[in-house]
Amino acid sequence: VVLVGRRAGLLLAVLLLAKPTAPFPIQESPPSVPTAVLRGRVDFRREPRPPTRRAGISDLGMPAPRDVPDQRQAIVYLETAPRAAFEEREGARVTLDQKNENFAPHVLAITTGTVVDFRNDDRTYHNVFSLSKTKPFDLGRYAAGETKSVRFDRPGVVRVFCEIHSHMSAFIVVFAHRYFALTNAEGEYRIEGIPPGAYTVSVWHSVLATESKPIRIGDGGGEVEVDFSLS
Amino acid sequence: MGQSPRPAAGRRRGRPSAGAGLRSFGSASPPLIRSRSRCAWALLALLAPIGRAHAQAPEASREARLTFNGEAFASVASDDPGFFNYANYERSTLSIARLNLDVSLRLGPRAAFLAEARGDNGDGISISALYLRVRVLEKTPLDLQVGRIPPVFGAFGRRTYGADNPLIGVPLGYQYLTIIRPDALPASADDLLLARGGGWLVSYPLGSQADSHGLPLVAGDRWDTGIQMHLGGPKASLALALTQGTLSNPLVRDDNGGKQLVGRAETRPSAAWIIGFSAARGEFLSRSAKAALPPGTRGGPFTQSALGIDAEYSRGYWVLRAEGIMSEWRLPMIAGPFVAGPLRAYAGCLEGRYKIRPGLYAAARVDRLGFSSITGTLFGGQPTSWDAPVTRVEVGGGYFLRRDILLKAVYQHNWRDTTFSPSLGIVSAQALWWF
Repeated sequence: VVLVGRRAGLLLAVLLLAKPTAPFPIQESPPSVPTAVLRGRVDFRREPRPPTRRAGISDLGMPAPRDVPDQRQAIVYLETAPRAAFEEREGARVTLDQKNENFAPHVLAITTGTVVDFRNDDRTYHNVFSLSKTKPFDLGRYAAGETKSVRFDRPGVVRVFCEIHSHMSAFIVVFAHRYFALTNAEGEYRIEGIPPGAYTVSVWHSVLATESKPIRIGDGGGEVEVDFSLS
Repeated sequence: MGQSPRPAAGRRRGRPSAGAGLRSFGSASPPLIRSRSRCAWALLALLAPIGRAHAQAPEASREARLTFNGEAFASVASDDPGFFNYANYERSTLSIARLNLDVSLRLGPRAAFLAEARGDNGDGISISALYLRVRVLEKTPLDLQVGRIPPVFGAFGRRTYGADNPLIGVPLGYQYLTIIRPDALPASADDLLLARGGGWLVSYPLGSQADSHGLPLVAGDRWDTGIQMHLGGPKASLALALTQGTLSNPLVRDDNGGKQLVGRAETRPSAAWIIGFSAARGEFLSRSAKAALPPGTRGGPFTQSALGIDAEYSRGYWVLRAEGIMSEWRLPMIAGPFVAGPLRAYAGCLEGRYKIRPGLYAAARVDRLGFSSITGTLFGGQPTSWDAPVTRVEVGGGYFLRRDILLKAVYQHNWRDTTFSPSLGIVSAQALWWF
């Protein structure tokens, strides 16, 4: 499972770092050109299982109840995008919460330059860290009510853990452009404002294999529907 | 990970009694494991309704029913001719290859069966933990554990795993072999003074005539067998256990007909602090050693009693831990010069870890083990500690190649108040993978 995730992460990082002109060149579109909406649904042929809690063999009693992360979230994204999209720096700020020994959300999709606030909403210490090459960091131990922040400037997949609670993990997927969307509870996604051109649309999931499909957005814009089924 | 039907667990349960290369850890015997295992499964059958009644709880239904995890590590070290780090005459804690495999079978939100199999240096597999955990009442944090259970006393005993220990060595109080044996007895104070500082291989005139190693204050790598209760939440908790052996000599099969009562109170005044107080008292001397005593000296009780205090403070990149143990053994003496009062030992350690950058940390531990004084005809008839005091400093660090692969390296220096190997430096390295 880890290998699949790691491989997918590397693939994504390579693709996102690629210049916007390869492998499907996309021309800069003037604002007046109609854009398209890409939408669809991601289904699962097998249910992704949440990370298990360790046996806790040396504990003196039952472990505290925890929230189990929703493993069904996936990210659909364009592997190439208009050059201008790579120059956008929104400087957004989002929160990755730690509550009931769980990171919420389990998957976070952001653009480069975004600052993520890691808020501890639990009663115990947490120690958020990542050893990913994209953004290694370690926030140390901090208590309930405190927030520590990290800015993500490089695209790629950052797997986040808690040093104290080994069953806690989350994924931060950093994109160099804004053409991506996280699936909702029904597995649906929607990416707006895509200029005409030929693209490859891919889906990323934390434990299941990735999938890619070519699409073409016509000059008239409109809606394009692409569904995925992951196993 | 994943679902597994109960029959599979039943087959696994059956392995210890099959005698197929499995042995219980320490002095346990396979038939006893078998009988304990039968008892545990009888309890499981009784408690099955607890699991079924809540089997549909949404929280529980998303947790895996059967989980496997564990760790494997290999340590190498320079020579230790002074036996400073030996857990018995053959095995050094700084030079060992170990595999721990933990299994948890959830029987519902209020019951679980847990077991750990351990293999050291490829010498077969032992069952180091095997117990049933039950949440007695649904809304009260009162848990019972029955079987070969985790240690209640102190703090380090529950974090002896390689991944939980920032260094490679084990604190003196949990590892260093004193000259106390449960199955052999000194006849006089002079017998103790003769053995002083040689706990890795001791012999005495009474009881077992075989040379064997002594015992640490608290056995860090063996768990006791019995029943344990834990009550409490995140701010404070209380644990009590009734076990077969003692802190220094945990057992599967009781060897003297006496039980040990051990307790621990823990408080967490804030997220940064954990403070614990522990106490234990249990019959220590084995039946065979007692039988070797002359009539009139077998009265006893011949006990090990201990008090412990531990504290942990953590903040940011720092974790600081301190632990102190006072242990005393009451042993019979049948010849002069006699020992007045119990034999006492004091262990204390201070440990710190600091994270330098993601994946890299430095750590250090300072350790001291001291003993009360006795007076014999040796050492000029002057009061002398009944075993040789030891001081240890260990410094080192660790680097995570991945989140689950850790490389450690340490330098350890030991000082002992003896003429044999009074000072020794040891370097050690360890590669560890947890899963």
